[in-house]
Amino acid sequence: MSSRGPLSIAENLVVERGVSAGDAWVTVEPANIKTALQSLKDDGFRLLVFLTCVDHLVDTSRQWPARYELVYELRNLDSKEQLRVRAFVDGDPPHIDSVHDIFPPANWEERETYDMFGVVFNGHPDLTRILMPDDWVGHPLRRDYPVGGEVVEFSEEHQVWQTAPEDA
Amino acid sequence: MSTPQGVTITKTGEQGAFGGELLTVNFGPHHPSTHGVLRLIVDLDGEQVRSVKPVIGYLHTGIEKQMEALRWQQGVVVTDRHDYLSPPINNLAYALAVEKLMGVDVPPRADALRVIMSELTRLSSHLVWMGTSGLELGAMSMLMYCFRERDTILDMNEEISGFRMHTSYIRPGGVMADATPRFLEMLDDFIKTMPGHIDEYEDLLTMNPIWRSRTIGIGRLSPEDAKVLGATGPMIRGSGIDWDLRKSMPYSGYENYDFEVAVSDDCDCYGRYLVRIKEMREAVKILRQALDRLPDGPVNVDDRKMLPPPREELETSMEAVIHHFKLFTEGYSVPPGDVYVAVESGRGENGCYVVSDGTHKPRRVKFRSASFVNLQALERMALNHMVADMIAIIGTADTVLGDVDR
Amino acid sequence: MGIEELAESLGQNILTTTLGKVVGWGRGNSVWPAQFGLACCAIEMIATATAGVDIARFGSEAFRASPRQSDLMIVSGRVSQKMAPVLRLVYDQMPEPKWVISMGACASTGGVFNNYALLQGVDKIVPVDVYIPGCPPRPEDLLNALMILQERIKAQGILPRQ
Repeated sequence: MSSRGPLSIAENLVVERGVSAGDAWVTVEPANIKTALQSLKDDGFRLLVFLTCVDHLVDTSRQWPARYELVYELRNLDSKEQLRVRAFVDGDPPHIDSVHDIFPPANWEERETYDMFGVVFNGHPDLTRILMPDDWVGHPLRRDYPVGGEVVEFSEEHQVWQTAPEDA
Repeated sequence: MSTPQGVTITKTGEQGAFGGELLTVNFGPHHPSTHGVLRLIVDLDGEQVRSVKPVIGYLHTGIEKQMEALRWQQGVVVTDRHDYLSPPINNLAYALAVEKLMGVDVPPRADALRVIMSELTRLSSHLVWMGTSGLELGAMSMLMYCFRERDTILDMNEEISGFRMHTSYIRPGGVMADATPRFLEMLDDFIKTMPGHIDEYEDLLTMNPIWRSRTIGIGRLSPEDAKVLGATGPMIRGSGIDWDLRKSMPYSGYENYDFEVAVSDDCDCYGRYLVRIKEMREAVKILRQALDRLPDGPVNVDDRKMLPPPREELETSMEAVIHHFKLFTEGYSVPPGDVYVAVESGRGENGCYVVSDGTHKPRRVKFRSASFVNLQALERMALNHMVADMIAIIGTADTVLGDVDR
Repeated sequence: MGIEELAESLGQNILTTTLGKVVGWGRGNSVWPAQFGLACCAIEMIATATAGVDIARFGSEAFRASPRQSDLMIVSGRVSQKMAPVLRLVYDQMPEPKWVISMGACASTGGVFNNYALLQGVDKIVPVDVYIPGCPPRPEDLLNALMILQERIKAQGILPRQ
């Protein structure tokens, strides 16, 4: 963590903070994501390393506030610190503000997250599918989307992979 | 090569600066450039490029979904195949992430072997880049020379792991197997002869007037643009910014090796070429140090919960049999949490973000792909250049479509 | 195409079989592949074309960029859902006689990846003549496949494919 003390994000934006296997993280409300990321960028975290989503359908390792967790990893190139910002969203489809104007690399990453998970980014200039064909139905990386492929006889996977997992 | 004064970026269909209309051309997914299946929709005003829109997804393999369906130790095989020019480096990112979550440290010999394999792969990846870039810009003999050296590296891969390309050598918990004496001999010979070969390539290209006129001034990416667009690797080092994960955020013992970071202030294709040549020389330096200082000892972490016991123990110990059974049927479980580890590949920052929910299969594995982010810089580099320069620019970005599409 | 119509109209006799041998020898020894490198196998395909494992010795001197000028499509790499129509389009553009080698495990059967995103084998959309297993196969494996294909081409003569 920064030697200057608490982060520049206003304390009222931070819902929770912690450290996971050596990586520092904070949770913010999805409505405040742009303010939080802008203030972090002003503080020196100017590189968005990646942006992705995790689907916590039937995940019993802890109590999750919502099903979809958006993860933004930011890095400060001068002090070499990294910080993970999380935001939990729900809904069908879930919505969150786009941060492509703060971090240009987020443009394609948000398209990919939309393609794979169905998360809609408000204010994105061109939110279309990027990896799957344009007329594909469904969002493949969601946990209730089956892995697909061909049935392989006598393998333990062939039953599991052809059906949407009940218990992930 | 000079652009008329006052040219602005126009949209398709509008009047171009030279009097005609803009023409939209499709560089389809099947085209002679050997960089994989990338589709570019280019707006041309005469011969000048006014906008470039890459369309990707033609190699989408569902690797991230596949890894959620495979156990932790099985996933290593799949990680080889997304950035297919540097498989051990992908393995390394995944292995480091899983080890961080499990809280284990590998022994020093494993670290040294991992560094050796990573640097060999960096060399192999830059050789492919140089060979194919040379081929595209007309220097066909570069392809033959570079692939000759690459074949030596692949022979070494085969000696140590049995595979030429997708070695799956670096696994969570250590490496696949110890280095054989023949591998160390081959490595020693290679280190002695490689600098001579790099000199050969430099003789052919560095002061070559055709190469220089096709790469100097082409594909300019200013340092501010590079930082804003999140580029990493030779894209950002070719623009004068000294950022290399092996020096700035070292892993696997890289802090113990003495090497320089290749930086060039040219900001164009030629600068990136110089950066890559220098990186190849530094890789040979690191290999020399790693080979000379190779420590003795085990190559795998001594944790029966992660790696199977040696076969002899199965005859005497019941506990060993139970561990063996559990590891080969269900596999080990990783404590819940999430972690991100980044390593420096030939293209830039290749990272692995792993989320575990405590079971024997990952909840989510996300690969931070250097090529995916670097490709977004293509438009900035290609604006107002000629069509023929686009080939040089696509080549200099050194994108691997498997990494972009995963 | 003219030779094949002639062969059909003349039927199988001494004239057509001898002519068939000559034509088959000619076709087999000058198979020009279309570049269709998709993924990792493409790198091994390029390595087959380089000096150590020279494919030009077998007649495949030129890897043509345009499918209209080539006989053979070496599908090297994984075929995703988005790429499948493009592959079929390129195959349709090739003039007869044409052959397909499916190089590598992903092109033959889907390989390591048994999931929604990949075609489980390129033979679902184009007819394949030779399959090469491996991930990726060695350059020598590709040469072996090419030699098997050449035997087949020579045996086919001038009759059209069934």
